[in-house]
Amino acid sequence: MTIRFSYLWTGAAAKALEGIIASFNASQSDIVVKGVSDPDQQAQLAAMTGSKGAFDISDNFATVTGSWASKGVVKSLDEYIQRDKFDLADFVPAALNACRYNNQVYQLPIAVNDSAMLYNKTLFEKAGIEKPPSTTGEWASAIAELTRSSSKGITQLGFCGTSSAAVDYRLLGVAHGGEWYHNNNPTPTDPGNIAGASFYVDNVIKKYGIKQIDRFASGFGDYQSPQAPFYQGKLAMVIDGEWQPAFIQQFAPNLDWGVAPVPYPDGRPELANTTMLAPGTLFIPSNTQHPDEAWEFMKYLVSKDTMRTFSKALSNLPSRRSLLKDKAYSTIKNFDVFLNLMASKNAKSMPSEPTLAQYTSDLATADDQITRLAKTPAAAYAEVAKLAKSYG
Amino acid sequence: MADHPRVTAPSRRRRVRLAGFGFSTPWIIGFLLFMAGPIFVSLYYSFTEFNLFQPPKWVGLENYAALFGDPKFLRSIVNTAVFAIIGVPLGLVLALLVALSLNFPVRGQPLYRAIVYLPAIVPVVTATYLWRWVFNAQYGYLNVLLGHLGLPQPNWLVDPFWTRPSVIIITLWGIGGTAVIYLAALQQVPQQLYEAAAVDGANAWHRFRYVTWPTLTPVTLFQLIMGMIAALQIFAPTFLLTQDRNNAASGGPGDTLLSYTMYLFQNAFVFLRMGQAAAMAWILFLVIGALTVLILLSSRRWVHYGSE
Repeated sequence: MTIRFSYLWTGAAAKALEGIIASFNASQSDIVVKGVSDPDQQAQLAAMTGSKGAFDISDNFATVTGSWASKGVVKSLDEYIQRDKFDLADFVPAALNACRYNNQVYQLPIAVNDSAMLYNKTLFEKAGIEKPPSTTGEWASAIAELTRSSSKGITQLGFCGTSSAAVDYRLLGVAHGGEWYHNNNPTPTDPGNIAGASFYVDNVIKKYGIKQIDRFASGFGDYQSPQAPFYQGKLAMVIDGEWQPAFIQQFAPNLDWGVAPVPYPDGRPELANTTMLAPGTLFIPSNTQHPDEAWEFMKYLVSKDTMRTFSKALSNLPSRRSLLKDKAYSTIKNFDVFLNLMASKNAKSMPSEPTLAQYTSDLATADDQITRLAKTPAAAYAEVAKLAKSYG
Repeated sequence: MADHPRVTAPSRRRRVRLAGFGFSTPWIIGFLLFMAGPIFVSLYYSFTEFNLFQPPKWVGLENYAALFGDPKFLRSIVNTAVFAIIGVPLGLVLALLVALSLNFPVRGQPLYRAIVYLPAIVPVVTATYLWRWVFNAQYGYLNVLLGHLGLPQPNWLVDPFWTRPSVIIITLWGIGGTAVIYLAALQQVPQQLYEAAAVDGANAWHRFRYVTWPTLTPVTLFQLIMGMIAALQIFAPTFLLTQDRNNAASGGPGDTLLSYTMYLFQNAFVFLRMGQAAAMAWILFLVIGALTVLILLSSRRWVHYGSE
């Protein structure tokens, strides 16, 4: 029996997957998996509309779970999980939760992203700051001490987005105790969400000016290039993901950098070690002719050994708790902070509701208004709350 | 010689007509199957709630009503109107100026003509990525040039005020095609009219205003309609300038680059609201139809045909 595995991954990830597929095919004689790399998400969607599918198993992100499950696009995995007594306890809860819809599991997480604060050790040393900030108070003063201007504008900035003034407002909100969904309903105006955005607006945007920051940040090269502001040593702190150790190795091998969890609000140590997980996931489309075989292969892909090989090849995080202390990752610089954050009780994920794509888009508009000081965080998110009422 | 069998005129005509149909049948079948079918199905979808995966549910005019209460829909109309109202006339004027200068009999004229046309054959994706670098606030050629001239250097692709002008500049770069059509039209202007005008004492402006321009009006009408349609359907430059990872829906700084077709695409393939996307497509179709009729009606006042 031959099944098709169509995956969005390309390049090194695709190469690693082909090795895994070959091992699976060699390990048993019932199922032959044929892999095909196709990064076109529209094609993936189109292939799932017909009665007969073009592939039997594929990958996407946890964010599509609710939308796809509610439309019957993907198969619920519950019957297989119960039949095989497949153990879900080893999966990081926040990663698995994002794969659930209506209390059923529709996807399994394989390679996960999370975020932390990267900082430039050389700039910290020059400014006489000994350790990365752990509270927002320390963070605010570090930003001020690490920012330099000349008559031509900002020459060095304490903190902003990776390649623009925009930052991860979702994470800042959660780090301030906010929630973006509560009981399946969007809650953009949660006080924590507003506090998170306000921290950035007050300590960076209003202080140094949006036009100046825009000019500073966009004057560098693209995000994935040696010219990115953090790689150039012009941006002291930035929030970014666990793929950065590999990127920095490639784009800025001489950069002296460290990583720490995003600071927590003063006096609220219970919010320390907050991160947002974005799980890359595997799913079985409803229109497959071979769901049983696809499930067998999925189990193999998320098994401990395969997950270790694959996540390491991608420099992504594994979704299994039993791998978070694994020595295999010790060769990746500063990866331990990202791994530890996965195990934190404050590791959160965006609940995958069917309304998420629309909500994300409306939040992006609000984020942009906040960054440009067109609206206060409270007013911008109130507008989203109003729009969210009509998501249906 | 034996008499030919008598063929009546009507039957010959019928045979010609049948042969004509015969030759066009493949196209007609293709049109009905691949164009007309989907077009009418999309009209039906526009009255339904349809997400691609579940059977469409009839909702009457709900999609249309919802759109007019949707701030992003209105935003996309404003953005697209800016591209059309400013970009199209500007493109026509510039193309005409380029054509007029290319019409001067100077040495190397064919080379200049080729250079002007060159951008029109660069794929829009390539062109847009190139322009992204030209517009770079700090190192882009454009701002370096403006700096040398002592002019302000806008943050083109980041400042919401400058994003739409940037897109218009990108589209203006491709006016070579329009200029070449104008150039061809310029060469059709009868020389004796210029001679007659010169005899009557007309200066350069008069010659342009009363001889050249009237003969160019039919071509202008054609280019205006085509340019308007292209502007209302603008997708690639705005999409490429705002494109995000993970199939997310972005509209650029301040949503200023959310063009109409881009929002249509987002509704269809990001939010999976095919019904609403179909409604948007039909609204655009009707608007383009109405504008075309309006332009054609107005053309009676300003377009001159040689025979008149």
